[in-house]
Amino acid sequence: MAVQYTEQVLKISTEVATGCQGLQPPFCSAECPMHTDAMGYVRLVGEGRLDDAVRKIRERVFLPGTLGRVCAHPCEAVCRRESEFGQPIAVAALKRYAADKADKEELWDLAVGQPTGKKVAIVGSGPAGAQAAVDLRKAGHAVTIYEKLPVVGGMLRVGIPNYRLPDAVLDFEYTYLTKLGVEYKMGVEVGKQVSLVDLSLSYDAVVLAHGAHKGLMPNVNGAVCDGITNAVDFLRELAMTSKSKVLGKRVAVIGGGDVAIDCARSALRAGAEEVQLVTLEKENELPASPHEQEGAREEGVVFRCGWCLEETVSQGGRVSALRLKDCRSVKDENGQFNPRLGDQDTEIYCDTVIFATGQRVEDISGGAMAQTNGGRYVVDGDTLATAIPGVFVAGDAAGSTIVIQAMALGRKAALSVDRYLKGQDLTAGRDFKSEYTYESKFKVPLEAGTENIKRVHTQVLSADERTKTFAECDLGFDDEDALAEAQRCLQCECKKCMIECLMLNDFTRCPGELFGTFLGKGDIEPIVPYSCNMCNQCTLVCPEEYKMADIFAGMRKDMVKANHGKSPIKGHGAIDIHQKLSFSKMFTIKRKGRK
Amino acid sequence: MPGCSLPSYSPENISKTVQYLKNTYPELSVIQKCCGKPTKALGQVDLLKQRFGSLVQDIKDCEIDEMIVACQNCLNMLRESKEFKTVSLWEIMPKIGLPKELRGKAAGSDAVISIHDSCPVRQETAIHDGVRWVMQELGYKTVEPDCTRERTRCCGFGGMIVPANPDLAKRVMERRIKDMPTEQIVVYCAACRSSMLMGGGKAWHLLDLLWGPVVTKASQPPENVLASPVKAWINRYKSKVVIKRQIT
Ligand SMILES: Cc1cc2nc3c(=O)[nH]c(=O)nc-3n(C[C@H](O)[C@H](O)[C@H](O)COP(=O)(O)OP(=O)(O)OC[C@H]3O[C@@H](n4cnc5c(N)ncnc54)[C@H](O)[C@@H]3O)c2cc1C
Ligand code: SF4
Ligand code: SF4
Ligand code: SF4
Repeated sequence: MAVQYTEQVLKISTEVATGCQGLQPPFCSAECPMHTDAMGYVRLVGEGRLDDAVRKIRERVFLPGTLGRVCAHPCEAVCRRESEFGQPIAVAALKRYAADKADKEELWDLAVGQPTGKKVAIVGSGPAGAQAAVDLRKAGHAVTIYEKLPVVGGMLRVGIPNYRLPDAVLDFEYTYLTKLGVEYKMGVEVGKQVSLVDLSLSYDAVVLAHGAHKGLMPNVNGAVCDGITNAVDFLRELAMTSKSKVLGKRVAVIGGGDVAIDCARSALRAGAEEVQLVTLEKENELPASPHEQEGAREEGVVFRCGWCLEETVSQGGRVSALRLKDCRSVKDENGQFNPRLGDQDTEIYCDTVIFATGQRVEDISGGAMAQTNGGRYVVDGDTLATAIPGVFVAGDAAGSTIVIQAMALGRKAALSVDRYLKGQDLTAGRDFKSEYTYESKFKVPLEAGTENIKRVHTQVLSADERTKTFAECDLGFDDEDALAEAQRCLQCECKKCMIECLMLNDFTRCPGELFGTFLGKGDIEPIVPYSCNMCNQCTLVCPEEYKMADIFAGMRKDMVKANHGKSPIKGHGAIDIHQKLSFSKMFTIKRKGRK
Repeated sequence: MPGCSLPSYSPENISKTVQYLKNTYPELSVIQKCCGKPTKALGQVDLLKQRFGSLVQDIKDCEIDEMIVACQNCLNMLRESKEFKTVSLWEIMPKIGLPKELRGKAAGSDAVISIHDSCPVRQETAIHDGVRWVMQELGYKTVEPDCTRERTRCCGFGGMIVPANPDLAKRVMERRIKDMPTEQIVVYCAACRSSMLMGGGKAWHLLDLLWGPVVTKASQPPENVLASPVKAWINRYKSKVVIKRQIT
């Protein structure tokens, strides 16, 4: 039966297929590069189902407690409670709460794929390398991580300070890798002890995820003396030895980003008496997150904003002061970094300078691979493949700047490696959009009466207590606060008609999907339109007031037409007879009334 | 015009209702015929034209000023055609009043009855009000489900899905029963009543309560006549005979 569908049916079907909100993800999870189901776990926390919340988080990411503490949470920036009221859901803090309260090995999915006989080498044990390792083990490949340091975790371990992310949390969560059978070669620096060529020869594929660990220092007059270091080296030494050899008593940190603040706050904890933060940007233009700035101010960090370092002054071979010039603007008309200086001078005294002015990716390929901005390798943005077959790049080495992005690139590289190892095309049929951040088009109006309920904040140690040790500052949510915060979530999804209609649930996830498939195929099983009660309950609740019954009724007509005036449904033979009788003389009557 | 399901269900209700209306409208004409809604539901456009056309002819033949219908689908079909002025039996009842002897007849009943509105008349507040008025006049205690009046849900019979997808229809019926706050239910469509029974509920037609014995908590509803085609067709024939006898 070749059914010719009328214009009208096709037109409304198209409207629903393109406009239905049912397949639009919530803002939070679309924005998350790993597409963690934030709406889902926030709801579970709100229902007090913490084990299920942890399971839900772990469906996408293996570091719930870590991310709950340090994730830059792009999801919160796009949260509906942010765009409507400026009070985003504390998605990350709720993740931490669930992890702290309920995460345990019994909840972990430790299943791995059938061994494939293929071996993969991963360079670097940061979030990108670790995520790639997890995914490749799950696909059944043998995985060995090469890590130049004696500790795992990358910047999570040696960049982000302990007062934000305690080692114990990271250690516990990284045991997941060992449990999946990931092997480590610790203390082996690729490019020195072993070359990239060696790895490519002994492994079936290689993933470079060695991050950006070379601290950048601008050329500054006089800066060849003791007491000068960079953020990466400073924080790494602190993380690994709990001490810093270079640190004196009066510290200047150069830079206005989060890394600079990490340095400043760490310096205070490591014994500095005075810490000044020197930034090109004006106070209201600082790139560092407001929350971190506030923490630093409370702890006594002095902000010197809108100043450019011109020259370091030394005494007896150690830095003793900095000459600064005022900075009028940081970027030029084209938005390029191009500081414009004024004519005001000042000098500040210090015995230690920490440059937090960026990190660079080191070339560990011996020049075999092309690099671009910040040392990032030149890769195919979709697949992370390089010019060398079987060599892929992930994480900051491929351009991410935060942990969750690094993980998404780790996952992307793993997907490519898996295809490569199976001899499959790297791109065919792949949904690249879903492999990274994208925007949700969700636009269902807020429920009438939705109020601006203020965000609930976590408890923190007092500034005095904080600066004495590297103990964790943020104490997280207690039960009551977590519940209250989770219950603020607006659950940004439209399943209104699906809640109302049993029939739709039998055939689809939402009308958008149903009619999309219909248009794609050009046809639909007759049982679908003939299962509609024509009750219009869907239309009643649909924010777009889509008339599913009309489409189904139209389809029925078209099907009858194609079927010589009869319904294509077997059981409807009886109705045909029924209807004939209902109009027959035997069962009908008309009696005209008389006075 | 009683429609199809009501005469198939209960010739007694037809007879009493015709008598009741005749008392108010001595010139009452009666037409027992289908409006063609099932044909429409199947999507048989050409057949529908022909069938609905024959009904229109009947109405014209009887020179009717205003149609009173007891079926919600007939109401919509006639109103959509815009040919005749059409009202629902349930909206005129409050206007013409109930026979005196029936008022308060159920005041002593311990039954608490849930009201199910028919989904094709979700927007017809006058009908909803009329039904509640009748229940109140009779003296019954009633309750409303969450989804009621303009938010009412389908009984499961709509769209002719029973023969097409019986399993789904059964689930829709059971779901509607779950909506109901009490076990005993009143409906004003014989097909809805049949659905309610199939969904596991105990349902009476409003006309059962009006003309029949007083229902108490212990009462059991009349059997599901519509589930048996033979009985239903016999009834429909009986209803026709009743009409023939009453309108002379
Ligand atoms: C101080 C600081 C604070 C940060 N704070 C945050 C934050 O709060 N939130 C956030 O989301 N992001 C933050 N970031 C960014 C985030 O840490 C990185 O984006 C992320 O760690 C990158 O992950 P990766 O796996 O690509 O690389 P990395 O985490 O850098 O890991 C790379 C690993 O490779 C190893 N390695 C390097 N070279 C070699 C070699 N030749 N051979 C073998 N191993 C090698 C390194 O030792 C390291 O273990 C911060 C970064 C810094 C520097
Ligand atoms: S309100 Fe909830 S579901 Fe909506 S974007 Fe925010 S966290 Fe996600
Ligand atoms: S009209 Fe059809 S699709 Fe809409 S709720 Fe009723 S049965 Fe479901
Ligand atoms: S109610 Fe249903 S049809 Fe309407 S937008 Fe939502 S999911 Fe789509």
